[in-house]
Amino acid sequence: MDETDLRLDGNALAGMLADVFGFDMTVERGGCAGCGATNQLGALLVYAHGMGAVATCPSCGQHMLRISRGPGRWWLDMRGLAWLQLDEQARLPG
Amino acid sequence: MGGFISRGFRGRRRAGAEQAARLPPGQYAESGFPVLTAGPTPRVDLADWRLKVEGLVRNPQEWTWEEAHALPGSSFEGDIHCVTRWSKLGTSFAGVSVDTLLDAAEPLPEASHMVAFCYGGYTTNLPLEDVRGGKAWVVWEHEGKPLPAEHGGPARLLVPHLYFWKSAKWVAGLRLLDHDAPGFWESLGYHNRGDPWREERYWGD
Amino acid sequence: MGRLSWRLSEVTDVRHENARVVTLALQVPDWDGHLPGQHVDVRLTAEDGYQAERAYSIASAPDGSRVELAVERLDDGEVSPYLAGELRRGDQLELRGPVGGYFVWEPDRGGPLLLVGGGSGVAPLMAMVRHRAATGSQVPTRLLYSSRSLEDVIFREELERLDAAGDGLTVTHTLTRAQPPGWTGYARRIDAVMLEEVGWRPGERPLVYVCGPTRLVEAVAGQLVALGHDPARVRTERFGPTGVP
Repeated sequence: MDETDLRLDGNALAGMLADVFGFDMTVERGGCAGCGATNQLGALLVYAHGMGAVATCPSCGQHMLRISRGPGRWWLDMRGLAWLQLDEQARLPG
Repeated sequence: MGGFISRGFRGRRRAGAEQAARLPPGQYAESGFPVLTAGPTPRVDLADWRLKVEGLVRNPQEWTWEEAHALPGSSFEGDIHCVTRWSKLGTSFAGVSVDTLLDAAEPLPEASHMVAFCYGGYTTNLPLEDVRGGKAWVVWEHEGKPLPAEHGGPARLLVPHLYFWKSAKWVAGLRLLDHDAPGFWESLGYHNRGDPWREERYWGD
Repeated sequence: MGRLSWRLSEVTDVRHENARVVTLALQVPDWDGHLPGQHVDVRLTAEDGYQAERAYSIASAPDGSRVELAVERLDDGEVSPYLAGELRRGDQLELRGPVGGYFVWEPDRGGPLLLVGGGSGVAPLMAMVRHRAATGSQVPTRLLYSSRSLEDVIFREELERLDAAGDGLTVTHTLTRAQPPGWTGYARRIDAVMLEEVGWRPGERPLVYVCGPTRLVEAVAGQLVALGHDPARVRTERFGPTGVP
């Protein structure tokens, strides 16, 4: 088994990102800061390490989103996301 | 959901009393060796592999695979602790002591910290005193066999007295600095030093 | 945050689909429904506070406060042996969701529809197929389902019934490791030839959903694109390293 088997996609981050953003982020679109490709976040490749997760651009491999979770807080590094489009329709009822 | 307990769930953990005494706070004993990955496994040809020591040193060094193996060997036997709460007790690694590498490079007086940089882009930072005095290695063998790629092979850094994310997989070199420079996880909420005996897991711990 | 907080469901039934897969039928108070393809996060808590979380696709069609999960017991798993071995009727299970609007199909999205599943990856596709049947949708649909052997196929009888209903759903199996005597179906891993024979032509612009072990999903997605399918119409959900059928 190698990391190919362990690789996931944006679907795996659906719960955590919904917690953080209050949106179903898997349908939202983001632009890669590396190559400019646009993807719904559900289509990003995800390496879900026990310490956190990295979501990468399926076109160029750039880290678009890095997220980790500690007691009572999350940390997010979104330097690899040039832009994020959030559709009001996708906001979770709260 | 305060207080809900899943009837009959214990998870994978098992620890006899003797093991429990060796465990830092919040850890459980794991007999396997979980693979945690934050990216594609780098594939490094041994012919291209280099190990560097650079930055604030008098003699920057670069060893090939053969040259690194010609250095005096050193090994570690003991316990490793992952911040995700598993500890592997009584394991062993072999390679070369970081002391040997630093002695060859001769750190300048102002060097206080280092960053380990790796094939694939991973980084982690350490105070120099945490890798000096027989506390750190670059290893290429685990329990008598070549270190598998998913566990950091061809070679990884080994700093077993700190949480295992400091034992950087696929290490390519050590860069000495006069300041601390947070690495991959340290810039995403994880503690700069990571002492398992003080439970230094996150920022502010 | 309303519907995304952790909540307790009650296990109303535990059905053994085969030697390794169990359907958990859950009753979830105040469930607002879900879309076919979505999943829930499940959380287990031990007495000392230790917690483990995993995601499971909802295999049932939207149906009030009823939710069904298909759980494959992994030999070295931490959560699946509990869900598929210990949990029983009357127990409570903590879950969060539904989440995952990306991997969703509803009849009004149209088709034709190609669903490709490997092993337990058939679970979210079952939600789509069941919802399609429940709403009387006639969207032309082809399900290609890869399993190791006939014993590993889950929902077999139900899929036979749905296939025979004559409402535009065709189910094709491939058994990759062992086939019963007299088997005339596919007996190998999914490849481009099979996808071409079973699936729609690129010119028909199908919507495609691929789910299962990562290796299978990536191989199939690559093959579909190489055959000329529009990548924007191919959605994938990787389950990671479960057994590769």
